[in-house]
Amino acid sequence: MVFAAPWVLLALPALPLLWWLLRVTPPVPRQERFPAIRLLLDLRSDAETPAHTPLWLLALRMVAAGLVILGLARPVLDAGQSLAGAGDLLLVIDDGWSTAGTWSMRMEAAERSLTRAERVGAKVMLLTTAAGFDGAAPVSTAAMPAAELRPRLAALRPKPWPARPTPALLAGLHPGSVVYVASGIDTLPAFQTTLAALGPVEELRDPAAPLLLLPPRSEADRLVLRLVSPPRDQPRDCVVLAQSGDGSSLARVVIRLAHGEDHAEAALRLPPELRNRLTRLVIEGQSGAGAMVLLDERWRRRPVGLMAGSVLNTDSPLTGPLFYVRRALAPFAELRDGALGALLGRELSVLVLADRVLEPDEVTELGAWIEKGGTLIRFAGPSLAEHADGLLPFVRAGGAAERRMGGAMSWTQPPGLAAFEADTPFAGLAVPEEVHVTRQMLATPPVTRADPHPVWARLADGTPLVTQAARGAGRIVLFHVTANADWSDLPLSGLFVDMMRRLVEQSAGVASVSEGELAPVATMDGFGTLGAPNAGAGAVAAGAIGGELASSRHPPGVYGPEAGRRVLNLGGGIARVSEAPPVPGAMEGAIGGTGAEKPLAPWLIAMALGLLAVDLLLSLRLRGLWLRPALILMAFAGPAFADEPNPALVTRLGYVVSGDASIDSVSRLGLAGLSEYVNRRTNAALGPPAAVVPGRDDLSFYPLLYWPVPPGAAAQPAAWLATVNDYMAHGGIVLIDTRNGGSGEGFAEGADAALLRASAGLVVPPLAPLAPSHVLARAFYLLSDYPGRYAGDPVWVQRDQDRTNDSVSPVIIGGHDWASAWAVDEQGRFPFATIPGGARQRTLAYRFGVNLVMYALTGNYKGDQVHIPAMLERLGQ
Amino acid sequence: MTALRAEALAARLPPLLVEAQRVAATVAQGVHGRRRVGQGDSFWQFRPFVTGDAASRIDWRQSARADRTYIRETEWEAAQTVALWRDGGPTMRWRSRAAETEKIARADLLLLALASLLLRAGEQVRLIAPGSRMIAGRGGVERLAAELDVTQSGAVPPDAPLPRHARAVLIGDMLAPLPELQTAIARLASRPIRGHVLQVLDPAEAALPYTGRVRFEGMGEQERLLVPRCEGVREGYAARLAAHQAGLAAICAAAGWSFAVHRTDHSPESALLGLYHALAPHEGRG
Repeated sequence: MVFAAPWVLLALPALPLLWWLLRVTPPVPRQERFPAIRLLLDLRSDAETPAHTPLWLLALRMVAAGLVILGLARPVLDAGQSLAGAGDLLLVIDDGWSTAGTWSMRMEAAERSLTRAERVGAKVMLLTTAAGFDGAAPVSTAAMPAAELRPRLAALRPKPWPARPTPALLAGLHPGSVVYVASGIDTLPAFQTTLAALGPVEELRDPAAPLLLLPPRSEADRLVLRLVSPPRDQPRDCVVLAQSGDGSSLARVVIRLAHGEDHAEAALRLPPELRNRLTRLVIEGQSGAGAMVLLDERWRRRPVGLMAGSVLNTDSPLTGPLFYVRRALAPFAELRDGALGALLGRELSVLVLADRVLEPDEVTELGAWIEKGGTLIRFAGPSLAEHADGLLPFVRAGGAAERRMGGAMSWTQPPGLAAFEADTPFAGLAVPEEVHVTRQMLATPPVTRADPHPVWARLADGTPLVTQAARGAGRIVLFHVTANADWSDLPLSGLFVDMMRRLVEQSAGVASVSEGELAPVATMDGFGTLGAPNAGAGAVAAGAIGGELASSRHPPGVYGPEAGRRVLNLGGGIARVSEAPPVPGAMEGAIGGTGAEKPLAPWLIAMALGLLAVDLLLSLRLRGLWLRPALILMAFAGPAFADEPNPALVTRLGYVVSGDASIDSVSRLGLAGLSEYVNRRTNAALGPPAAVVPGRDDLSFYPLLYWPVPPGAAAQPAAWLATVNDYMAHGGIVLIDTRNGGSGEGFAEGADAALLRASAGLVVPPLAPLAPSHVLARAFYLLSDYPGRYAGDPVWVQRDQDRTNDSVSPVIIGGHDWASAWAVDEQGRFPFATIPGGARQRTLAYRFGVNLVMYALTGNYKGDQVHIPAMLERLGQ
Repeated sequence: MTALRAEALAARLPPLLVEAQRVAATVAQGVHGRRRVGQGDSFWQFRPFVTGDAASRIDWRQSARADRTYIRETEWEAAQTVALWRDGGPTMRWRSRAAETEKIARADLLLLALASLLLRAGEQVRLIAPGSRMIAGRGGVERLAAELDVTQSGAVPPDAPLPRHARAVLIGDMLAPLPELQTAIARLASRPIRGHVLQVLDPAEAALPYTGRVRFEGMGEQERLLVPRCEGVREGYAARLAAHQAGLAAICAAAGWSFAVHRTDHSPESALLGLYHALAPHEGRG
């Protein structure tokens, strides 16, 4: 803890003086009005001892004064050491790609430096090291007070490209001291020495090394993930997530950076279907451009072109030359047909030629495509056997030899396949017994140093079945049999599918448009988030995009037209990340070294003010100006209690509390759902339902009471019965629900007996089944049955010919468990299924509820309307 | 402004009146008539005609029932004028924390209750104030209350024309210097008027319950007094108050008046009863 204004502490010795002063000064007298003051005049007190300030009040004031002194001395907790030199501070912040993961810590470190400079009143210059988003080279700001620099500091963002500070950045700067928030990697020694020459340097680094994910290498059946980082003494495990375009992680690979290693690799094996969905690889838990690799079609799509010797019947079932190839490749590769020029005009990974003889100009065209990385798969056949061209794994003038095995004129049995050798792409595939080759083209490619395994598959007798030869970046693969079942059983077997798939996977990804400029579509910011291209981003040459070093001109991101998106990755242009030595002579520190400075002055002053406020209140009290604590509390607390809503202000349905919490909850939800439905469908405006206890609550506010009778209901007390009887006698309607009607005895067993017990003493009028002609059945909707959760039982109402109470039945008795049907929970769902079920039953239940409410609210008004024709007739109109 | 004030006063009047009537009713139950023959309206007794009685006093209806001739006598109802005054000065408009009402409120209550009692008994009341009117009849309390509210009054009763042999009741804290009070009482007594002085004191004035260092302010502008230690002067104050009250009692006794002390934390009924008894004519006088 340091004090920003330590000289204020000199006031502390004055505290005893203050103590003495407070001791000898009598307290301020209480003010009292007194009419009989005349009698007091000139009275001499017999014991003239001036009252002292009470000791505890004295202590309170001393503490408050001490706190004020301490607060004015501005103590700061967790403060870093002060600046190394006098004069302006140069704050150099590396903002290259490697700083994104620890950006907030770096900003805090910079903020701490600003605070320190502010404390000593030094001005600060801010210099970043990476080019800006607009492509401008970094320039130091003018020296300005720290407060003005803070917004600029807050506006800084890490850049997704490397920072390569040069000594020229530091030209013309004359700071008193330097704070360098360094990335710690790939810094020019010249910059460091120039920096060290400027003044005392404090270098802050992140002890953890940054990780850079390189674009993966595509191999036959895997992606090889590559990671580089400055070496560290302890092994590090990094988790790389392979994510699809929607952000879901399809795979998780752990890459272990061993002790002292600066790079590591790990294989990612995925089925082609999944692999084709990958759009990016990210290091789990890391942000920043270095922790993310975008994948484009080079890692994904393998367009396969298909061509046959004869344009006719290529796909005729079972016999067409391309029928089996297409069946084998269609599930996982993109297949294209057409003339050679059209096929090669677009990106293409693999071209399958089935017994097709190439014209010389086609040979030239195809040869160039293979040189650039295309994979040509050829199938032998009668035509090829006769006219061998230049695009075969072997060079042979004229036709190739052809061999027939088995058949009527041969002694030999058609041979099967030999097991695949380990170094071929087919290694590991099981060889089925039933595959036999009856006819093959005979040729043996030469074994060369560059291609030690020209034969990828052999027959059981050792003759080659699949041969290959690398040509440039591409490859020619020849099946010595036809692509249909004419020469062998191979296309009929599952092995053929696997072999074709391996071949296609092994081919290079499409090499898209190789010339021209690709405009940026979306670029990353320093945290690895793709967004609109920044101002400085420009088009990149298509041929250079794979190895382009990301820069402000070419930030990492997606480039190119929609048909041929290419990605530029930060790791594409960086092979190694090396640790930079510390700045010579610098004082080293960690960016997360200390917490933020905590100025204690506001807290101390606030505490002192609080104590002084207490002292003020106490003084007022001592002087007789008594403030009632209750009044103060009320002023602070405000209205603490919400009044119980006046039940007379809003129309509400009520339910009789049964004592069973689950039943009461259903009643409440049900009536709430019904109220909501009624409010939506009619002009009635019902408030939330109320729980009522007859005998305790005044029932006169509720037009309708819902009374679910639980099976265990006991006889009700007299006050209860009297209240309900009074309620019914004065126009209230009670809906009694035994919650078992139509359900058999399966639900609420014994509820009928419970109803008899519970309602003993209720004045129930003579009842009749509710008929469709009753007003209740037509008060709003025209209803003929009245289901709730259950359906089918009659509903009982007052007999219609009783004219008491305006023919409005005071009681409605049924057992359809209406509340459950009406209930809507907090999520707006229906918690109880209707039985036998269906949306129609619930709708009818709600309609019955609406009719009930209307009946309760309007009485027999709708009954009068039913009689309008008769009334008009009686009026003689 | 005046209208507003009058309205506020009017709003305050009924509760005061009701309270006064209530207090008066409580006391009236314990007080009975003069039980003497005299001039009045209410029947007292029949007595046989004796020589010397005026013939016009014969009650012929009663006399016709018997052989003798009867004189109808009425109860003595000689209307006495009671002049009332209460101190309306600033010292009255005060109450300490120990009291529930201001002294002036208690004084008003007592005055109106006493007036109510007197008016029920058929007496006439009036305020000791210049230009005040004689009030009689049961409905007079309201008029008196209204008059009371508009009457400005100082710490001593003013010089007002009062009928001779009237009775006077002075209610106030009587904290004015004794010579002033003596002058006022002597002036009334010289008419001659007999009367009663009721000193209304706040409990704090009676006991001086303050402690510690207290700055006392009088009700006037410049009266201020700093008491370093209130406990030290309490006894001296009590002695002075007792001396003041003794002086008052002596002044009253010299004028043939009676004197009583009432504290606002005591019930008004007892004070009213005392007042009423003090006013009641003693046997053999009147």
